[in-house]
Amino acid sequence: MGRWEDKTNAERGRRNAEQQGEVERRGVLPQATPVMMFRVPRSAFRVLAALWRLNLAEELQYRANFVASVLGTVFWIVTALLTLAVFFSHTTRLGGWDYWEVVVLLGVFNALTGVIEAVLRPGIGRLAGEVRSGGLDLVLAKPVDPQGFVSFRRLDIWRLTDVVLGLALAGYALHRLGRTPSLAQLAAFALALASAAVVVYALWVVLMSLAFWFVSVENLSVLFDAVYEGARYPVSAYPDALRFLFVYLIPIAWTTTIPASALTGRLGPEIGVVAALVAGVAFALARLVWRAALKRYTGASG
Amino acid sequence: MIRRYVALIRNAWLVDLQYRASIVLWLLWGVTEPAVALGIWWAIAGDGQVAGYARADFARYFFALMLVNQLTIAWDSWYLDGWIREGELNFRLARPLHPAHEAVAENIAYKARTAGMILVVWLVVSLVWPAVRLPLAPGRWALTAAAVLLAAAMRFFISFTTGLLAFWTTRATAIMELHAGVSLFLSGRLAPLALLPPAVAGVAALSWFPYMLAFPVELLTGAAHGPAVVQGFAGQLVWLGVWIAAYHVTWTRGLRRYGAVGG
Repeated sequence: MGRWEDKTNAERGRRNAEQQGEVERRGVLPQATPVMMFRVPRSAFRVLAALWRLNLAEELQYRANFVASVLGTVFWIVTALLTLAVFFSHTTRLGGWDYWEVVVLLGVFNALTGVIEAVLRPGIGRLAGEVRSGGLDLVLAKPVDPQGFVSFRRLDIWRLTDVVLGLALAGYALHRLGRTPSLAQLAAFALALASAAVVVYALWVVLMSLAFWFVSVENLSVLFDAVYEGARYPVSAYPDALRFLFVYLIPIAWTTTIPASALTGRLGPEIGVVAALVAGVAFALARLVWRAALKRYTGASG
Repeated sequence: MIRRYVALIRNAWLVDLQYRASIVLWLLWGVTEPAVALGIWWAIAGDGQVAGYARADFARYFFALMLVNQLTIAWDSWYLDGWIREGELNFRLARPLHPAHEAVAENIAYKARTAGMILVVWLVVSLVWPAVRLPLAPGRWALTAAAVLLAAAMRFFISFTTGLLAFWTTRATAIMELHAGVSLFLSGRLAPLALLPPAVAGVAALSWFPYMLAFPVELLTGAAHGPAVVQGFAGQLVWLGVWIAAYHVTWTRGLRRYGAVGG
């Protein structure tokens, strides 16, 4: 019975594939996909939904982790606010920003940290170990885009509380600044924040791709932590050379400084569009690096 | 005992050699926090002074902090947590040598390598950037070496003891992170203690935190002198004694509790 079911399923799958191929041949769907683009078939979302559903079921077993995660985040936020308090006890402005403006930035930083800890670290963050052990073979054997699968295969749902708490902190700081953002500013902020997530993602892809060249290095994710440390303060606080580095070469200015500036109105709403362009370029470059890196992979498992 | 230590250190050194690229990354991660703090204080100080600290003083302080931190850092609570949870402590207990000796040897090998790298970088930087140059004063360097040794011993016992809490809880490393969060302020990682609000500095003076980092750093930069030096060493000795006692209690009680898992 089981075997029989397997067979019909396999057959159905093959038939579906044939049909889809026919549709593509007839030109209903775009035929040639440019190298740089993700071809995102609808099945990709189904795979993603299935993976995340499994994760969710798994995580719901460990509800104590939710409390631990919230406590950890609150402790982190308090530490960061006290750090700022120490700095601001000796100055009134940091790189031209006043206290509550920097707190808005901290909120953005914390929200992005949530995205990193919920999706990126448990997903692409494990890449280095898999390149070393050959575990990546199992990923490459799957009929899905390897970059997409490696990046989004896990969702540590509890860490998304960081996103909520971070945005709440940013909102409170905005209130203390006495500013009500216009609709255009809110839209620009949303666009800049989404772009920031893409830029962070691109940074992870590029840094983790180094694993294909330096196979023995298992803690490559530490490199990201080191770089991201610089995003805790507005880039205008740093010396010129560092600022140039953070805006153009290692684009962490676009992760926190720009969204926070869009929200507080320090930069006009048009910055949202620029941020989206930067995110597009960062994503394309990361995709190129990933492809070049993957070519070097020869497998290691037996 | 000495021959055993030579063998253990050699072993740890060779293991580290295998993972030298990873160690460079940990080192990089270790110096970014003081580097960012220096960047912020640099901006705040501008051309003036903050509580007596000008830009060059901050540069010297945080360069010394990078070096002292690398020489005294201890990862042992993470190792012990793993050993205890996964039963890797078992074969270590069966050896005719206390497991702490292996941990000490690892610390020595790791620190010799990473602190050596920082010293080389510091020398190169000081050639082009006079702000971070330290005067050649053999007496002060000798005192600093003693203070660094005491601080390293204390941080080792803190980390080891906290790791032993894994006998009772699965969140021993979380406790260590909490300790690290508090030490950000009280041990001088964020700012020289003189720049903290007086109340906070007062609390710090009653704790072991300043003796972990701030005191050896200020010995090295020359900020601590006279009675402060004597008081610093006294504090280091007292707190080292307290942590050794805490380690003893935790180790004996924990072992009695330990029902080995796996092996």
